[in-house]
Amino acid sequence: MTTEKNIPLLEVRNLKKYFLPEKKFLEEQAPPVRAVDGISFTLKAGETLGLVGESGCGKSTAARTLLRLIEPTSGQVSFCGTNLFDLKETEMRSLRRKMQIIFQDPYSSVNPARRIGHILQEPFEIHGHQDKKENAEKATQLLEQVGLTPDHFNRYPHELSGGQLQRVGIARAIALNPKLVVADEPVSALDVSIQAQIINLLLDLKENLDISYLFISHDMGVIEYFCDRVAVMYLGKIVELANSEQIYNSPQHPYTTALLNAIPNLESGRIKQKTSIKGDIPNPATPLKGCAFHNRCPIKEKQCEEEIPPLKEIGPGHLVACFLK
Amino acid sequence: MSSPELDIQNLKVSFSTPRGKLTAVNGISFHLNRGETLALVGESGCGKTVSALSILRLLPEPPAEILSGKILFSGQNLLSLNAKALQDLRGRSISMIFQDPMTSLNPVLTIGEQMAETLLRHTAMNRQEALQKSADLFGRVELPSPEEKLKHYPHQLSGGMRQRVMIAMALACTPRVLIADEPTTALDVLIQAQILELLDNLKKDTGMSILIITHDLGVVAEIAQRVLVMYAGEIVESGPARALLNNPLHPYTKGLIASVPKLGTIKKTGARLEEISGNVPSLDQRPSGCAFHPRCAWAIEKCKTQKPELRQADAQRQWSCHLEPGSI
Repeated sequence: MTTEKNIPLLEVRNLKKYFLPEKKFLEEQAPPVRAVDGISFTLKAGETLGLVGESGCGKSTAARTLLRLIEPTSGQVSFCGTNLFDLKETEMRSLRRKMQIIFQDPYSSVNPARRIGHILQEPFEIHGHQDKKENAEKATQLLEQVGLTPDHFNRYPHELSGGQLQRVGIARAIALNPKLVVADEPVSALDVSIQAQIINLLLDLKENLDISYLFISHDMGVIEYFCDRVAVMYLGKIVELANSEQIYNSPQHPYTTALLNAIPNLESGRIKQKTSIKGDIPNPATPLKGCAFHNRCPIKEKQCEEEIPPLKEIGPGHLVACFLK
Repeated sequence: MSSPELDIQNLKVSFSTPRGKLTAVNGISFHLNRGETLALVGESGCGKTVSALSILRLLPEPPAEILSGKILFSGQNLLSLNAKALQDLRGRSISMIFQDPMTSLNPVLTIGEQMAETLLRHTAMNRQEALQKSADLFGRVELPSPEEKLKHYPHQLSGGMRQRVMIAMALACTPRVLIADEPTTALDVLIQAQILELLDNLKKDTGMSILIITHDLGVVAEIAQRVLVMYAGEIVESGPARALLNNPLHPYTKGLIASVPKLGTIKKTGARLEEISGNVPSLDQRPSGCAFHPRCAWAIEKCKTQKPELRQADAQRQWSCHLEPGSI
């Protein structure tokens, strides 16, 4: 790794996003939903960071907030040293060419009335390239880069399968040579045999185009395959952050352990351990006192019900928010 | 050997569409043994859900049409029953749970009323007894504070709890067969593990048989004794779950298993997942010969023209491929 690669590409500090429910007439304001509740992490150039957690843990909100697709409640995000939340809308727009996103559902993330070729030319048009012929050529190149054929140029989204359309989503994301691509559950909506194709494509693009990924998924298997480091989120907070080896070989937070234990093993046919985790994720609008996980935690103690455990370093680069570690 | 609980013979289902008549299920045969969990595996559009819905005649006919076949349940052919007889059967002898518990519950009725409805329809209970029984069932599916839950509306419950309600409803009349269509796909991993464990325990307690439909091989490994793999409306491989997952015979099964990232194989730079190339064929573009041949790495000339028949690998395993076992 060169020294240049050690400068963080993305630095997120204490990012918060609270959603305030609409106030009804004559009713008291309901408490805010703390979707993202103070998360901090860095992403080095060339690195892939996985953000994993169950639905409602705030992983997608975190991704959208740090790209400023939704405005944050508080916190700081610097991208190559620029604080994004200080930028004006026009400055942000021009910076967006360096930071792109791939969405979960390829069908709802493209305009159904536009041909594929048009969808792929749009990024160039928006960012000031007006030469139609050149844009069309670039769009055709993109199609080939993601494993489609020039033949797809004049087709409409509904004529493509989910996997093919996800390739279009990826082509659109890499069109302007971004440095950072946020992939929000990019394979969850796809069939098993297609998932592997898309993961391989993303890995190839990383090698060839020097992209860093923030990879969001609920699937621990995919995350392990794809990511250098992993952040585990629970109810808006990061509860464990470490490199893949540490997370998968010696998970420290009981929630991480539970997630790993819940994955069925194809060879032995049994999950590692019967579920010790009972109950559901609590409502983020009415958080529990103390550690948010304590109502489901198999090893909780008195302290966990009263105080919120801080995220502390227990080994080099290994952060855990648990009193018992 | 005792006769199977459900015996499906040569089931063929088609749909009338603007593009013509499309065959979704192309003559499949299988049986479900008493007390067994059988998994029907395949990708979207392979016909697994259509097969399951046909058993209870839940497909809208038209556009769906059951072209041929028999579905035998305790000696009766379900395909020749009238509407009244089918209604008596549904929910009493054969129950079904669906993927999305939110859309299968009525949002404007309380959970208790919906539960009681099943019991009032199929048993001689009065309302009070039905509600009491509902609370008992909620306890059995491990819903916290069951009495309270009777008064709740679906939106007040989490996804996992709603699926527990669906399971409780399905079990209300102690059915002999439970058909579960992707029961955990909409749920989080931790909740998925809970629900699978619950289904397994309930099966052991009641002795019912489960037909589980899924695209997730992890779910198969976790809960099924036997597996049927479907591709493009046909069964391409079947056998005991352990043997099939450890030693797949059909190239498609092998590819499916290889495309799941395995835990413990920490990513190495440049390492790629094994993938199945190409796309799942749409119903109106079924390839000639073996439907899998355009995506198969081992396809030979014969595969393009001749459709392979299902053949017997041993007493319990079948697969349909022209290649000899061990050559893939």
